[in-house]
Parts: sequence; structure tokens; C-alpha cells
Amino acid sequence: MTAHVLPPAPPVQRPRVLVVGAAFAAAASFMVFIGLIGIYLTSRSDVIGSGSTWLPEGSTIPLQQPNTMFMTLLMTVVTMQWAVSAISKNDRVNAYLALGLTLMLGIATIVMTTYLWTLMELDVASGLQGVLIYTITGAHTVMLVLAMLFVALMALRALGGQFTARQHDGITAAAVYWYAMVAVYALIWISIYVTK
Amino acid sequence: MALTDTRPESGTDATSVAPSVVPSPLTIFGSGDHKAVGTFYVLAALVFGIAGWIATALASAHIVGSGSFLSETAGTQLLQTSKIGLILLVIVPLFLGLATYIVPLQVGASTVAFPRAAAAAMWTWLLSSGVFVVASFIEGGFGGERAKSVSLTLLALGGLIVALLLGTVSVLTTAITLRTPGMTLDRVPMFTFSMLVGGAIWMLTLPVLFANLLLIWVDHRYGGGTVFGEASSQFGQVSWITHQPQIYAFLIPGLGIVADVVATLTGARLGKRNLLLTAIGAFGVLSVGAWAQPAIFPSVSEDLFWQAMGLLILLPLLLLLGGIAAAFKDGKPSLKSPLGLAVVSIVLTILGVFAGALLVITPLELRTTNFFANGQAILVLGAALAAGAAGIGYWGPKMTGGHLADGIGKLNVLVMLGGGILGGVSLCVVGFSTRFTGLSGAQDTLVVISVLGSALFAIGCVLVILGLASGARKGAPEAGDDAWGTGQTLEWACPSPPPTGNFGELAVVRSPEPLLDKEA
Repeated sequence: MTAHVLPPAPPVQRPRVLVVGAAFAAAASFMVFIGLIGIYLTSRSDVIGSGSTWLPEGSTIPLQQPNTMFMTLLMTVVTMQWAVSAISKNDRVNAYLALGLTLMLGIATIVMTTYLWTLMELDVASGLQGVLIYTITGAHTVMLVLAMLFVALMALRALGGQFTARQHDGITAAAVYWYAMVAVYALIWISIYVTK
Repeated sequence: MALTDTRPESGTDATSVAPSVVPSPLTIFGSGDHKAVGTFYVLAALVFGIAGWIATALASAHIVGSGSFLSETAGTQLLQTSKIGLILLVIVPLFLGLATYIVPLQVGASTVAFPRAAAAAMWTWLLSSGVFVVASFIEGGFGGERAKSVSLTLLALGGLIVALLLGTVSVLTTAITLRTPGMTLDRVPMFTFSMLVGGAIWMLTLPVLFANLLLIWVDHRYGGGTVFGEASSQFGQVSWITHQPQIYAFLIPGLGIVADVVATLTGARLGKRNLLLTAIGAFGVLSVGAWAQPAIFPSVSEDLFWQAMGLLILLPLLLLLGGIAAAFKDGKPSLKSPLGLAVVSIVLTILGVFAGALLVITPLELRTTNFFANGQAILVLGAALAAGAAGIGYWGPKMTGGHLADGIGKLNVLVMLGGGILGGVSLCVVGFSTRFTGLSGAQDTLVVISVLGSALFAIGCVLVILGLASGARKGAPEAGDDAWGTGQTLEWACPSPPPTGNFGELAVVRSPEPLLDKEA
């Protein structure tokens, strides 16, 4: 039984634990959609390959609402980065404004998604298409809600004065997850809404 | 800083009072201590292991002879449930538990990253596992007759995956952000590195399994169950995690455990370490199997890429084995049970991966029946279990504070080896019956042998629990800081069991074997 006594080390530097953790969570969430969209594209290719049309008779997916949502989410990338930039300069007013705006645009996207569902005239029980489209868009809405909760929590912590120019990992981490959510929407937009 | 956590580096110093060895359910409830969480993961996984291997034995026994004691549907569901259960309820949580306990110690951290998230993950996993088992028993397995039970099974599996991923995020973040000064990624211990690789592969592939389950659930619950939720096709959509290449992903942390055990118990530094790290990385890359889904890609077994992966994975394994063999040659092997279990794991890994290479060779016609693939799966999962048992035997003194009874461990060496050979190889032999018709007559006998093998693995899980208990009992010889006297990595520089905060202050690490540097 040997007891090891080691000489002292220099002080530990503060690691960016939350940012790395959020990046892993974002990667895992992203992979869920890679799986879903992979199955969607394969199934669609099989249906079209058999000579049928992808969407069932009477169903349509308009492009206007998806485009609007995409633009909205692209704007949230700007507002989120604005929040990160503002807090890193200790500009709290701009940080609060940017985080609030991000959340409002997130809510607008959810409203637009539900409106789009009513326009599609597609029943989840209509078969392959209904199950796939509602699962993917529904799962993205869940991811959006999770990202909004993350941002809201960080906004509350910012209001509580917990972030400074030197220490604002929480907002950076929320931004990482938010960007992943927007990237997922970009995939959905091109796979489901644009290429039908 | 972490959402809900105290600063990882703010742990109290190493002179604090040591926690109890095996925490009671009351002390664990609400605890974010990585040692308590890791210990509970390990114990619960071993208990599920006993049940899982018994279920595997029963599922095999059901096909012996003409008069089965289970209905066809029940037998099939038991087989499917045991396959998924052995991976998500036994092997992954066993490694995750060891990693939650050991990785912070190996990298010189005072705690795991996101300790409360790690605890929440463990409880969610435990709850989901319980729900999965109960739902499976009330006709809720894949394609089960009770719709609500099937929904419950699917939700439990979803919860299992989320929990395991959350636990993996904690471990990976610890290995990346909380390493002590000087410990670069190429200097981390082999187990930590293999968890980094294995965890990363789990992060990439288990979400795809979650996507499969989501589609099955949505169709089953809301879509009429005609597409993804169709009873007969449900298991087919998730079965890819039980086949190669994906099944190898659940073995990766075992490779690191074996390397650490061999290095310490032979007293030799691992030579050409960067090559070994590359081999583990390559093994990980070649085990990504989320794309190889027969339900989506029916001709996947005829795909050249799939076949090439099955053959190429032999190369990193051989590299790794070369490094381990060199350690045996350069050092003085100490004939302790963890080393024996590591050797069993190596033997079963070689057999499993070699069987996988045979499986992809189309002219051998081994894919005509499921016997060969099932035998290969038992070999690979047995190798992973043996590696886990080796890890528990090796780090058991650190976890319990006392030396484990080596006799129990040595008995387990025989049990695990027998389990793998009888359980896996016999089914692989049955797989050849399409080419050698004489084997058809021996099918029932070989399957009975396989049943015995699975039962031996269940006994192996019991022996591991007994071994841990022997270290925790009053009067067990004290382990000291370095239980083996030849420890190379930082976990052997803190007391056994480690106190809150794990370490006092550590030196700057200058090599992968900091304790050998100190002694030199």
C-alpha cells in the first residue's frame, strides 16, 4: 500500500463547463433530427420511386409560413448573438432587450407552426406522411420550447446579476443550444417544406 | 457556470470526512456526490444484469424441443426485451456508473461536471428501467397486445435514453473541462479516453434510437399503428442497436478498462500509447451503426460499406491487443482476479469481433438464421460484462475502502469465461447448420448449452456484487490510497474511498502515468 503525496499544483482555471455541456446536449438533439429526417427522406424517396406523389390527395404544405418562420428564426440568431455580445461588454440593458426579443420571436415561431398545422389539412393518421411530418415538426417545436426555457432561465439569472463581462457562460451556453435549434429548422425547412 | 451546480473546483479539501461506502437509498436521495451516484448505477445495473441474463436464458430455452413453456409471442417478446435490456439496463449503465465514479478521479477533478444532473440522470434511468420491466411483463413488449402497455414501454425506453445521454454528458464534460493542469487529452488514462470515445458514439447514435422510438410511439398512439407502429415491425426498427456494427459501441469503455487493469497489474507502462488511443478511436468510428437500419435499408447486409466495417474493425482491435500483449511481456503480471477478468474480456472480444467478421461474409450464409448473430451478440455483451467486472474488481478497493475477496473474483473468471464460451460460441456453431446439415440434429443440445452460458453470466453478476460486498464488510483488509501498490493514474493518489472533494492539491501532470513519474 503506497501513499502518494504530490507537490501542489497551480490554481485551477475556471473551465467552461456549461458551454461544453450545452454543446453536447445540442449535438444529441441534432442527431435526433438527423435520424428523423434520414427516415423521412428515405421514405419519401421510396414513395416517389413507386410512382406516387408524396403528399396525400387534398393535403398541401404552403411555403409562405415556413419561409416566415425561417426568417424569424434567422433573426433570433442575430438577437441571441446580440445578447452574448452585450453581456460580454457588461451592457445589461441591451442584453435584457436582446434576450426578451429572442423569446418573443420564439413564441411567434410556435404560433406560426401551429397555424401551419391547421393549413396543411393532413391528418396524423393519414399514414406515413402524417406521422413523419407531425413527428418532425412537433419534435422541433419541443426543442424550441426547451431552448426558450434555457434562454428564459439565463435571462432571469442575468436579471439577478449573476453574469458579468468575465463570466457569462450561461448565456453563451443558451446561445449554443439556440443556434443548434435554428440549424435543425434549416434542415427541416429544406427537407420538408422546400423539397416536397 | 453550471445551471444549478456548485463550482466543480470548489470542493472541500481531501481531509474532509469520507462518505459511507455503499450509500443507503436515503442518503443517495438528493445527493449529487459522484461516488454515490456511480455506486448506485453499478449496483442497480448488476441487479438488472442478473434478471437480464436469466431472461436471455429463458428466451433461448423456449425454442428447445417442441413443447415450449412460453407462447410464441411471449417467447419472441422475452428475447427482444432481454436484448434491449442487456444493453440499456446493464452494459451502458454499468460503464456509465464506473465512469461517473472513476473519471473525475482519473482526471484529478473534485467532482463530476453537473453533479445534480448526473444524479437526476441516474434516478430517471432507474425509474424508466423499472417502468420498462413492468410494462414488458404486462404484454407491453414490442408488438405487445395491450396498446397502453406498449405505449408505456416506448415511453420508458425514451426516458432511458434521455437519462443515459444526460449521464454521458456529465462524464464527457468532466473529461473535457475538469482535467487537472498538465493532463492533455493524450495523457488521460485509457478508461477515461475510452469513455470519451464510447460516450461520443453513444451521443451520436442513441438519439437516432430515440428518433425511431418517437416515430413508433406517435404512429402507435395517434396514427393508427399502420406504418411505424405496426406490431410486427416495431422491434425491427430498433433492432440495429443489438447488431453489428452498433453493438461494438457498447464495448468501447471495456477496452479502456482492460488497458488500465493490464497496465497496473503488470506494472508496465503501455508502450506506443498514442497508437493505442488511435486504435480505440478507430474502433469507435467503426462501431457507428445508426445508419445500418434493416427496417429502413432492407439490403444493408449486402452493402459493401457494412461488410467492410465488419472486417476493418479487426484492425484496431489487433493493434490494441498488440499493445496489451506488450505490457504483459514488459511487466510482471500479478495474478489477481481483475487481470483474469480482463483476459476473459479480451478473449470474448476477439471471439465476438471475429464472429462479426465471419457474419459479413455472404458465401458463409451465416445470416440465413438468427443463431449466429445472437451468438455474436452474447459474445460481445459478455466481453463488455467481463470488462465491467474487471473494472469493479480493479477499482472496488477504491470504492469500498477494503480489498475485495480475490477468491470470489477468481471464481468469476471461470464463470464469465464459461458463460461466454457456452453462451455465445454454441449459438455461433448452430449458425453453421445451414452449411453443415449434420449440425441440425445437435441444435437443441447446443441451444441448451447456450442457456447454461447465459445462466453463468447471471451467476457472474451475483459474484461481482458479492465481491463488492466483501470489500465493504467490516474487517476487510484496508486498501490504502494505492490498493495495488503499482497504480499509475491519479485515482490511486487519493484515499480509499475518496473523501468529498477527492483530492487535496495535485501536481502538474507531466505524463500519462503521473504516479510512476513521482516515484521515479
